This record gives sequence, C-alpha cells and structure tokens, in this order.
Amino acid sequence: MTNSNRNAGGCLVRIAIVGGGPGGLFTAWHLNELCDRPVDLTIFEAADRLGGKLHTPTFSAAPVRYEAGAAEFYDYSPVGDDPLLELIRSFGLPTVGLGGGQVQVAGRPIANLDDLQEAFGPGARRDLIDFDTWAHGAITPREFFESGSDYTASATPAGRFDGALAGQASPTIRTYLEAMIHSDLATPPAATSVAYGLQNYLMNDPAYMRLYCIAGGNEQLITALATRISATVRLATPVERVATTPDGRWRLTTRSVEGCCDQDFDAVVLSLPVEALKRLTFADPDLTAAMRQHITHHDHPAHYLRITLLLDQPLGRAAGDDGYLMLEAFGGCCLYLESGREPDASQGVLGWLLGGEAAAALADRTDDELVASALDTLPAAFAAVRGQVLEARVHRWTAAVSGLPGGWQPLSVDHRHRPAGATHPGLFVVGDYLYDSTINGVLDSAEHVAGWLAADLIDASRETR
Amino acid sequence: MIARDHDQPHAADALGPHPEVPGGLPAGSMVRRLTLPPGRPFDLLVIPTADPTADPTADKAQPTNQAALAEQAQRWVRAAAESVAASSTGIAAAPVAIPLYGCYVIWAPSHGAVLGSPTRIEQLAGTLGEFAAREAELRDLEGRGDKLLATVESDAPAAFEFDDRTQAIRSRLAARFLEAVAVRRGLASLGPAVHVPPIHPPTLASQLAERLRDRTRLAERHELASDRADFSFQVYEACGQRAAEFGIARRQLGLEWAIVVILVAQLTLMLVEMLRFGSST
Repeated sequence: MTNSNRNAGGCLVRIAIVGGGPGGLFTAWHLNELCDRPVDLTIFEAADRLGGKLHTPTFSAAPVRYEAGAAEFYDYSPVGDDPLLELIRSFGLPTVGLGGGQVQVAGRPIANLDDLQEAFGPGARRDLIDFDTWAHGAITPREFFESGSDYTASATPAGRFDGALAGQASPTIRTYLEAMIHSDLATPPAATSVAYGLQNYLMNDPAYMRLYCIAGGNEQLITALATRISATVRLATPVERVATTPDGRWRLTTRSVEGCCDQDFDAVVLSLPVEALKRLTFADPDLTAAMRQHITHHDHPAHYLRITLLLDQPLGRAAGDDGYLMLEAFGGCCLYLESGREPDASQGVLGWLLGGEAAAALADRTDDELVASALDTLPAAFAAVRGQVLEARVHRWTAAVSGLPGGWQPLSVDHRHRPAGATHPGLFVVGDYLYDSTINGVLDSAEHVAGWLAADLIDASRETR
Repeated sequence: MIARDHDQPHAADALGPHPEVPGGLPAGSMVRRLTLPPGRPFDLLVIPTADPTADPTADKAQPTNQAALAEQAQRWVRAAAESVAASSTGIAAAPVAIPLYGCYVIWAPSHGAVLGSPTRIEQLAGTLGEFAAREAELRDLEGRGDKLLATVESDAPAAFEFDDRTQAIRSRLAARFLEAVAVRRGLASLGPAVHVPPIHPPTLASQLAERLRDRTRLAERHELASDRADFSFQVYEACGQRAAEFGIARRQLGLEWAIVVILVAQLTLMLVEMLRFGSST
C-alpha cells in the first residue's frame, strides 16, 4: 500500500519520476496505460534532453545520424513475448536486423568454426563446441528469456565468470570468448557472474535472441514516447533531496536555473543509474539505510566509451553484410559499421564501443587521442578509412550501466523495486541494473513498478468506496 | 538432389553446350555444370583466389584484383542469367551477391559463382550448389502451384455441383487433384531444408546458406507456395468429393431400379402363382 492511497478519495494523485531516460519514460507510459484514472506525473531530468542512453545525434559536418549510446535492441521473440519490440512496432517505427559476430583474435578474423580451425587448429574448434554445449546446457533459451525474473533466480549457475572460463574453456577459446563478449559485458570476467557472462555469450546464438535497431535512429523511441505520454517534463532539473512530509507524502528538492524548489508528491519512482542514486540525499535515516543497502548490493559499475567517425564515403565491400565486428583491442571492443544501416547513405559512419576497464581508463584522454588510438586498431580491410575522416565524436558513459545486474545474489523482483518497502512503501526504483543492463530489462522494470502503483490506486479506490 | 555432369556424361548434351571459362581468371578457375531438379542446368563458376592465408576481411590487403575478379564474376553471372531468361520466360531475376568474410558468392537461378581461398572454395561451391537445388525445387513447385491456381476458378463450381456435363472433366479434375497433392508433398518435403534453424557456433557453409535463404526470402516464398497449394488442394478435394458422391448416387439409382424390377417380377410371379393355385382349387 503506497502513500498514493492518501489521495484515493478523489484528488489527483501526484507521482514524481526522477530520471528522464528510457526507464522514466517507460514508467510514465505504463502509468498512463494502466491507471484507472488520470494521474499527475512529473518527470525530473538532470540533463537538457530526454532519453539517457538512447541518443542519436547528428554530425555537424553533414546531416548524418549516429548512435552515441545504446546501439541495438534485443529481440527475444524467437523464445517468447517481447514487449519492447511490440511497443516499438506499435509506434510504427521500422526496425532493421543487425548481424555480425566476426571476432579478431591474434590478428586473425574469426567468423565461424572454419576460421577458428584454420587459425588455431582442430583442437580449438572442438574446444569451442565443447564450451558452447556446456553453455547451452547451463542456460536454456527459456531461462535466458526469463533472466532477471524470480523464475530463474535460483536456477542460474553460481560463481564468478572467470572461474567458469578457466574451467570450461581452453586458453585460446578463452581469449576468443573474452574478445567476443567484452564490449557487451563491459566488465572483467572476474567482476561478474557466470550467469551474466554466459548470457552475453549466448546472445550470439539466434535461438536465444537477435539484434535489431530502429531505422533512422534508436532515439526515435524516446521521441515517440515523449510525444505520447501525459506528464510534466522538467529538463535540467536535478533532484537533490528526497524527504517525507509529516502527512506521509514525499517532498523532492530540485535545483534548476530558477533556484531550489520543494514539491510534494504521493509516490516517487527513482529511475536513475546506481551512480546517480549515490548522489541523492535521503532525509529519513531508515530510508537512507535502505537505499545504502540497495546501492551497495547493485553497485557494480561498468563503463562505456563510444568513438564515432563520419567518413566522406560509405564503407565499401570490406564491411560485407555485417553490422558490427569485434576487435581484440581495448580488451575487446565492438566496431559498428553504421553506414550499413542506411544503404542509400552518401557518407560512412564507423563507431567503436569500448567497454569495461579500458573505457574507464581512457575516459580522461582527449577526443583526439582517443580517435588516434581507435584508428590504430582498424583491421587492414579498413586501411582507407584513415584518409576519409570528416568528423569524429566521442561519448563517455562512465558507470552508466551495471556489470553485474541484479547483484551477486539476485533479490526478489518486489524487493529490488521497493528497497524500503516496510517503512517507505511509496518509494520505487526502476533500472536496467535490476534486470540485465538492457533497454528490454528497464522496460520490464518500469512495467513492474507501474503495474504495482496502478494496482495500489485501484485498491485504494475500492477501499474508499 | 544435384548431380554433376561428369557423373552424368549425357546430361550435358541435353542441357546445351558447356560454357567456357571467361578469360583473365586465375589458374584453377572452372565452370561446373550441375543438374538441378527438374533437370535444369546450373553453371557454377569457381574462382580460387591466390592467397589462402590472407586476412579474409582484408579486401584491400589481398591482391587488388580480388574486387575486379568479383566484378567479372558478377558480370558473367548477370549476362548468362539474362541470356537464359531471354530464351525462356523473358524475366531475369537480379543476381544475389554476398560478400562473406573474404569470399564472394553470386547466385542467379541458372548461374552462380564463388570466389574464395582454395581451402574454402569446395565448401562454398557445395553449399551454393545445394542451395541452388533447393531453390530450383521450390521454383518448380511455385510454377506448378501457379498453374493449378489459374485453373481453380473455372473448376471451383464442380466442388459445389456435379452433373453429367462435369462428369466429362472428371479425369482432368482428378489429375489436378493429384498434382495438388504432389505439389503439397514436394513443399512438405522441402520444408525442413527451408526452415532450418541457424547453427551455432556457425560454420562458413551455414553462414552462406543462411544468407542465401535470407536474401532470396526462401522461407516466405515457401510459406506462400504452401498456402496456395493448400487452397488448390482444398478446392480439388471438394471436387473429388462431389465427383465421388455423383458416382455413388448414379450407382445407387441403378441399384434402386434393379430392386424395383426384381420386386415387380416377384409380385408378378406371386400373382401368377396365386391365380394358378386359386384355379386349381
């Protein structure tokens, strides 16, 4: 039962959503959909734009888009319902499949078992098949699909991923796997679980999931959501303090160009990454303790760094049909061949996604240094790129995601979303770090919280009657 | 499924002259003639590239003529496919070109080409040949299904009412029903090859097969052909039902008349016997 009951008698229920990223917007969308009466939603966003990690800016040298944040979505429809894909389609946004998977190991491109055998001998081929068989046995497509839910919390393999790699993969295969999954994992194998590591390996199997992006830019999802939700959006307005009022409501202290401001709400949804949660002040000691526990449990920061180049001509045949390939450089990074997404483009776009410790270590370097480092990693097929660069952009996503979503010991779904349920039932959290560090995961999280709030409102209405 | 000409030496004569290897290709290049169902020729240009250990993604690092060779192969396939189309349907399907990790594969319904290192070329040629056979089988079934569909509308009334006039086309309807069964059977047996799930971890052959199926929309075409064949089958099945009922009704009518005649004869005999018995007493 939330504090929103207080206004169930007839006044408009006021709900604050802190964070205007995908999680905040999904929560608002679901609240609009699920509540049996209008609610007064306010979204507070610290930045001057909505969308968070979904960001598709345009180069200044030419009107060409590129993905600065999340480059792709995961399509789970081969296994079960995919609410994100359904939502994207319901907005009429066209999607494009994304294929690839070639991995550079010891300077050799490995795209399939034949390449592996040619480069490292038949033993390596056998070893990969053995590892693959083990991985498929450890997590089935259904368990992969349900990952993050209570259903699989006890079924997933326990332990650290580096231990599993050491036990199940030969050194060659381990090098190959680390290069293959590092940019998705964004954390060293020692800092994450077997389950999360294996999920990042198994996602390369189309029987588990497929990759896609939105034609014309992933940020269109944010635009579509923002134009459809009914909420007051306060940009460049970070929330600094969360407190309770004597009458049991919530008081948020925000800071904007107009100065500090206090506003009262019936319920609060914190849709922020863990790093941003750390910066919030909670007035109540019990709430402070509960939130500290929540943050400690989920504090496994993972980092990304994106370097994107605009080229004066589209990428040639060297790129083939693939949308991306994995390089061994930076501990394993992903090279996105973005011009492949727009076949009629007259310019090319090439993007590096660096993850994990390499991204954190390089984040302090200048853009020029990063671009030079990135260009040095290009395979011979892309040798001509060096002379074709029109513009370069760098985006740093330090501690933007979790390298161990759900924590070492996943909590129940309810506990995850309401850290201080016993003392402060009106405070909810939404985030991809509660599920699988994906946009799909944050949609699940938002749907759970919105459903909970909407059910509380319906219950409160009945009690009042 | 597919046969090479050297396995069937006489097939080449029936399928036309064996094409020449275009000039300027590397040593070891050859044109293989395969026989696809239902007896169509498929000419496959095989071009082994020089350096088997070169970086397969590295088009620029490989001999610069790799791109030129791919262009030449594409021109050969396009020209050959157009000439075949001009002599038959008049419609040429655009060749599908697939760059695949340093290899290059081009496919058109009657011709194909593969470029790759000598260690991979046989694998690629085998996969392309196998795909071409499946595609040809599907194309043939699509054509047969289309022919059936064209006659369905004129034959459909027989599915509702069957009389002496329709009795005249009974054997034709039966032949079309059998054709619908054959098309459905063909599509059903082709199904597993068309809808084969992606293999993981992939092999070069599985990647090529997957891309070829994807680019030629084989699964969608198979589904559409199956739907059409099902529709024709249902109509001709109903025609068969009506024809059978008509035949049974006719036989029943004859039987009824025979029974009537027998009964009349029996009554007559009984009457005669009664009269004889009455007159004797």
